[in-house]
Amino acid sequence: MDDVPPTTLTRLNALLARDFDLEPGVLTPQTRLEDLDIDSLRMIEILFTVEDAFGISVPADATELRAKVQTVGDLAAYIDSLVAAQPGAGTKAG
Amino acid sequence: MKRVAVTGIGVVSPLGNGARAFFASLEAGRSGIVRLQGKSHARLADPIGATVAFDAAAHFSAPQLRMLDRVSQFALTAAAEALQEAAGVLEGLDRARAGVFVGTGMGGAETTDEGYETLYAERSDRVKPFSVLLAMNNAPAAWIALEHRLSGPNLTYSTACSSSAVAIGEAARRIESGEIDMAIAGGAEAPLNFGTLKAWEALRTLASADADDVSASCKPFDRRRSGLVLGEGAAMVVLEDSERARARGAAILAEMAGYGLCTDATHITRPSVAGQAEAMRRALASAAMDAAEIGYINAHGTGTQANDGVETAAVKKVFGPAAVRTPMSSTKSMHGHLLGAAGALEFAASVLAMRAGVLPPTVNLRDPDPECDLDYVPLAARSGVDVGAAMSNSFAFGGTNAVLIARRAR
Repeated sequence: MDDVPPTTLTRLNALLARDFDLEPGVLTPQTRLEDLDIDSLRMIEILFTVEDAFGISVPADATELRAKVQTVGDLAAYIDSLVAAQPGAGTKAG
Repeated sequence: MKRVAVTGIGVVSPLGNGARAFFASLEAGRSGIVRLQGKSHARLADPIGATVAFDAAAHFSAPQLRMLDRVSQFALTAAAEALQEAAGVLEGLDRARAGVFVGTGMGGAETTDEGYETLYAERSDRVKPFSVLLAMNNAPAAWIALEHRLSGPNLTYSTACSSSAVAIGEAARRIESGEIDMAIAGGAEAPLNFGTLKAWEALRTLASADADDVSASCKPFDRRRSGLVLGEGAAMVVLEDSERARARGAAILAEMAGYGLCTDATHITRPSVAGQAEAMRRALASAAMDAAEIGYINAHGTGTQANDGVETAAVKKVFGPAAVRTPMSSTKSMHGHLLGAAGALEFAASVLAMRAGVLPPTVNLRDPDPECDLDYVPLAARSGVDVGAAMSNSFAFGGTNAVLIARRAR
């Protein structure tokens, strides 16, 4: 996940820290979502937040996605892929 | 049949949080009815209600709060207090034989109201992802079971204003029959959002704000009564197989002695003397008691034109000559009408009154309706009263009448 642009990761970290009562800065790309008690139900909530924050629409089923996305870095990469796939990529993400 | 002990009480109410604070306010005749200050409340003809002062962040983390409607926050808080008082009740308990029985009329109405505001007022499609989980009527009961790992029956009753009296009665029956050993039972309601209040206003059952003193707007049994005042909160009791409670040396607050249930089946809102009387008779029969043994009645006493005269007539019918000697107060005059939580809160008030030997008053009763000619403990609490048993009445829209009787533990 070394190719994840720092901005997405930084913004995601800030959102997760805010919503899950975490100290800012404790999250790394390798932090596993399950260590944050993020199950498929909480994943639905995160996707909602991420959709608003990054101006994207997440098509995936949360349970499916939760199986694929294991770490914070995975999630950031997934967000980037959706942002890049948008028409006029990235313009709403700022 | 097994006997059922009340070993814990928890309260979140407009008269204070915690059973002790609640009863102190009742004793002082304090009212929790205030002018509502929400952003849309000014659009109500009479923006009044009995609100709970509740610091949600002091009880729950932010991630928890995103899953909990106000109604579940109240329910969890009251249940925790009840369990704390019933210290040790969970030790050695077979949790599959422990149930949760909750009454609520409107469930997560605040979430529903917010969702509609998002959709229709803000014209946004971004409804909160957990709206269903917050709003579903069984959320309060489910969260209590999750929090305390109680895996027996988990039931939610919605019979409008008698919901939580039904919940307590049904829980007690399951303990009596030996199906379960312990239950958390009660009710929760959080109906003071704009949409819910508007719907009640449209039904023309809400009280007008008192011109001189908003807190005195609910006037049960008074000639000037103009309707009910909605309130919010929760009350939970721990019910336990009495033998088990004794064996573990628990302090028994009261015996849950009687439960009467029937339905008017005559009109969707209009109360019936026959129906109310029948529920009281059934409660007395299930407690194997005579009416004359009841030392205090916590009235349904909504302060509506329809209820108070009918309830008075029903009590006279059941109690006969004992009616005039039996004090009956409406604590709704102070804490408002908590709808689905009313029965549980008033059952709690009845048990606390019996234990203290202090009868909470019907405040604002200065000009009694000639039709209402019983002893309603007007204006001020009465202390030094020996109460061996107390009856709590709950009569609902839809016609479900539920009456509970608590007896001093023997």
